[in-house]
Amino acid sequence: MRAVVVYKWSRNAADALVRADGSIDWRNAKMSPGEDDPAALAAALRLIRGGDDELVGLTIGDGDASWALARGVASTWSVEDLPALADNGSTAAVLAAAVRRIGGVDVVVIGDSRQEPGVAAAVAGRLAWSVVLGAQTVEAVDGRLHVTRRVADVRQTVVVPTPAVIGIAAESDLDRAPGMKELLAARKRPVNRIGLADLGVTAGDVQTLGCRRPETAPARVFAGDPAQSAAQFVSALRAEGVL
Amino acid sequence: MDSWVFITADGWSGALEAPRALGGRVVAVVVGPRELAEGVAAAGPDEVRWVEPKPGVPPEAFSLPLADVVAAAAPAVLVAGADPAARALLGAAAAALEVPLLPGAVGLAVEDGHLRVRRALAGGQTIETCAPGGGVAVIYAGEDAPAATRPEATIEVLGLTCSPLAIGASEPVGQASGLSDAERVVSFGRGVRAREDVAIVQALADACGAELACSMPIADDLGWLDKSRYVGRSGNHIAPALYLAVGIAGAPQHLEGVRGARIVAAINNDPDARIFQSADYGIVGDLYEVVPALVAEIDKLDK
Ligand SMILES: Cc1cc2nc3c(=O)[nH]c(=O)nc-3n(C[C@H](O)[C@H](O)[C@H](O)COP(=O)(O)OP(=O)(O)OC[C@H]3O[C@@H](n4cnc5c(N)ncnc54)[C@H](O)[C@@H]3O)c2cc1C
Ligand SMILES: Nc1ncnc2c1ncn2[C@@H]1O[C@H](COP(=O)(O)O)[C@@H](O)[C@H]1O
Repeated sequence: MRAVVVYKWSRNAADALVRADGSIDWRNAKMSPGEDDPAALAAALRLIRGGDDELVGLTIGDGDASWALARGVASTWSVEDLPALADNGSTAAVLAAAVRRIGGVDVVVIGDSRQEPGVAAAVAGRLAWSVVLGAQTVEAVDGRLHVTRRVADVRQTVVVPTPAVIGIAAESDLDRAPGMKELLAARKRPVNRIGLADLGVTAGDVQTLGCRRPETAPARVFAGDPAQSAAQFVSALRAEGVL
Repeated sequence: MDSWVFITADGWSGALEAPRALGGRVVAVVVGPRELAEGVAAAGPDEVRWVEPKPGVPPEAFSLPLADVVAAAAPAVLVAGADPAARALLGAAAAALEVPLLPGAVGLAVEDGHLRVRRALAGGQTIETCAPGGGVAVIYAGEDAPAATRPEATIEVLGLTCSPLAIGASEPVGQASGLSDAERVVSFGRGVRAREDVAIVQALADACGAELACSMPIADDLGWLDKSRYVGRSGNHIAPALYLAVGIAGAPQHLEGVRGARIVAAINNDPDARIFQSADYGIVGDLYEVVPALVAEIDKLDK
């Protein structure tokens, strides 16, 4: 089984500061992997059972190859000249081209992220492969994938033939820092840097006409003397009919 | 400008309503049980095309055959909500049409004859307007829409051969915490410093006649409440009339669990806490002072 784990390396959206005019100030945003990526990587590593099994990392832009390599991935590919795009379809087209280029891939495991919820599905669409999103775990059983996920109040196992794309939705923060030994091992592992031209694809994006702040009523916030705030707060909630 | 909306589960009202603003025909493509198709038809789209999966077949089994149907019809706009299966159908269709796929859409419009997509960025703190150029696929992330009063659509059955995906097993994830149908929920996070201080928040819950809940770290890392009592993406999704968050920062993963709440109120000692951006009411202050003051205030009401 040859699996590819796709991970993202980008500015952490939680650190974005929105200015009064609606534009975004990214200066304080740290570069980090996607929030679902540690869970996707953990799921992909469990798929690999020794023998001929192989896990290949794939990222775009200035993704940190050592992040995946030091966590057990044998080699990585990175499409260096693809910037972060608004269009999940265009991102997916490039990722799908890279998966074809890597070749012989049975399964793509990718974070099914809240920020980029179209990427995993569109990668599958571009490859014309089966796809299951919102997954928690994936396991290989007799040449098929057993994928678990939660649908409403049931945990469901979906049996999927390969090749397939599995989108993993993280349930919690799973990332752990690798040790020195793993970091050293990572340095010896191959990193394949390619560009859009090597893949024979272009990556257009949609045009943006600018941002503005939404017209939402701000919270009514009471501050100062606790007893007074408490009284104002309780009477506001009474007026809403919820207390 | 015609739109196709992919529906595989409840929670479709906003996605179905959004393309109305474009003035074209709205076609709902429902992959799921008959009741789902009937519910959608009652909301009055222009057409409903219904794929009924055999028992044990997940909706995703139709993503590729459906993409062929979409490619042949080539609608200008494709829409799905956040539901994983609906996104799988959308991704295949968008790839077949080779159109851009934009997440986070909160509104669609035609301005000067051009299609515009408004989408939420930075956790909804700002709204971007995009000009896709040609057709577009969007993942709708806006509000639910109120029930429409339009004539019911007829349901046309779409017979498709599916890919060999199968549901192998299903088991209920038991969560009998009483949170799901509580009218009021008081919830606390890491602002509470010690296990014995949980009693302070419990007293507030009792005074309000509320169920007690918590953020994930309280249940998962600290074990101060049972895991069946945390709220958020991977925990409870609840819709009480009042959700009162005490010492909770308001991480997006936490807030996913209370999208259905009518009033969100928060107590936090940090005036810049993220929770205040999503709350209707708040108190900035130390919970160790504010919570007892609230209990005293509520006790007065009863007398
Ligand atoms: C994939 C993933 C899934 C997740 N799923 C969930 C989920 O389902 N549910 C969930 O809850 N979290 C979830 N999380 C975790 C989430 O990101 C946050 O880390 C978590 O919700 C933070 O909990 P908290 O608000 O209790 O703690 P903190 O972030 O530590 O916030 C504590 C708050 O208390 C305030 N405070 C401190 N002292 C006082 C005081 N004396 N008086 C008043 N206020 C005070 C602080 O200002 C702060 O805002 C998930 C994370 C990941 C990565
Ligand atoms: N700009 C990007 N570069 C690489 N991968 C991406 C990009 N955008 C989305 N993805 C993929 O989509 C998934 C969602 O990312 P995230 O929002 O970081 O959880 C990631 O696991 C990536 O594999």
